Amino acid sequence: MKPGSVASLVRWRLRSTSTAAALAVTAGILLVPANLLPVLTTETPGRYRTDTIFSGTVELWRHGLWAIALIVFVASLLIPFLKLAGLGWLLWQTRHGPPRDPRPLTRIYATLDFIGRWSMLDVFLAAFLTGLVQFGGLSTVVARGGIVAFSAAVVLTVLATRAFDPRILWQANPPATP
Amino acid sequence: MIPLQPGEKALCSRCDSILAQGSRLGTHATLVFSLTTLALAIPAMTLPFVSAGKFGEERVSLLFTGVASLWNNGMRAVAVLVFLLGGLLPILLAALLATVEINRRLRRTWVGSDYAFRLARSLEPWAIPEVQVLAVFVALIKLGSLVTVTIGLGCWCYCAMTVSLLISQRSFGFDAPGLLAANHEPEHGLSS
Repeated sequence: MKPGSVASLVRWRLRSTSTAAALAVTAGILLVPANLLPVLTTETPGRYRTDTIFSGTVELWRHGLWAIALIVFVASLLIPFLKLAGLGWLLWQTRHGPPRDPRPLTRIYATLDFIGRWSMLDVFLAAFLTGLVQFGGLSTVVARGGIVAFSAAVVLTVLATRAFDPRILWQANPPATP
Repeated sequence: MIPLQPGEKALCSRCDSILAQGSRLGTHATLVFSLTTLALAIPAMTLPFVSAGKFGEERVSLLFTGVASLWNNGMRAVAVLVFLLGGLLPILLAALLATVEINRRLRRTWVGSDYAFRLARSLEPWAIPEVQVLAVFVALIKLGSLVTVTIGLGCWCYCAMTVSLLISQRSFGFDAPGLLAANHEPEHGLSS
């Protein structure tokens, strides 16, 4: 290996973890308005309600649609927090260089990478409902500010996972087989 | 280079994760299904997606009627995001995979093919039509109790397009750029 390549590896590694950490922290901050601000206003004759992500899920549950309530709960509430927690754990474990047992951490990374996309569900849901439910002025669905914060948070968690390079977990560990 | 047989896996000797996997559907799967995705994209975008009605009034919406409403309501960033993730990027990804595969078949050394491969790899996590499909079905179940909902042909085409893109992606060796190197080896012969 050329000396030059070693130097660039080290510099790149620093950038990778600090970029991932910065993106994850920003995503965490954005999740606060994403969950507190309303995401959707539904207006039907005699009924007007404004929902946050959580109250929308509770509403689905109360209407007996427990299966899709569960899907929305997992995708919109559980996955974003799990993802940030998992990424935080990976960054914490690698703060002093490669961890002793990188195998489970690599598995965690692969899982995070896979589940992340599903939290976009609520954004697609809001977009689709907005377009569909406008028949003859009988009812309207309007997306609200919370969905902007939420989509920004999800995009940032995906970027954070991409910025974290799992090869960091294996640096300076001797290969298992020659 | 050792080409993988259908169903064969190459594992990392350190972490046991799958590095590359020969498609169970054979070597043509990526090309066939990426072209299918492109063909299905046209009816998916233009045919009626879903129609909803109450008291005799009916409203037919296309796939991106919601995106247009979001845009008109001033949520332009979200509208662009939904359009990219659910519409443009999946189609672009299919086109890039088809480009790489066609060049691989023609054994043509073309730098554009390498760029297409890299672009496809960086776009892959952002092409998520499958999430949109799930969202549409969640929305339809939610609305089903309020209004009469009819699923249009566009919706079925979009579902088929999504499955086709997923098969095409899974059959393509994203993590094994070495497989692509076969493109550049005719003058030296294969080293296996």
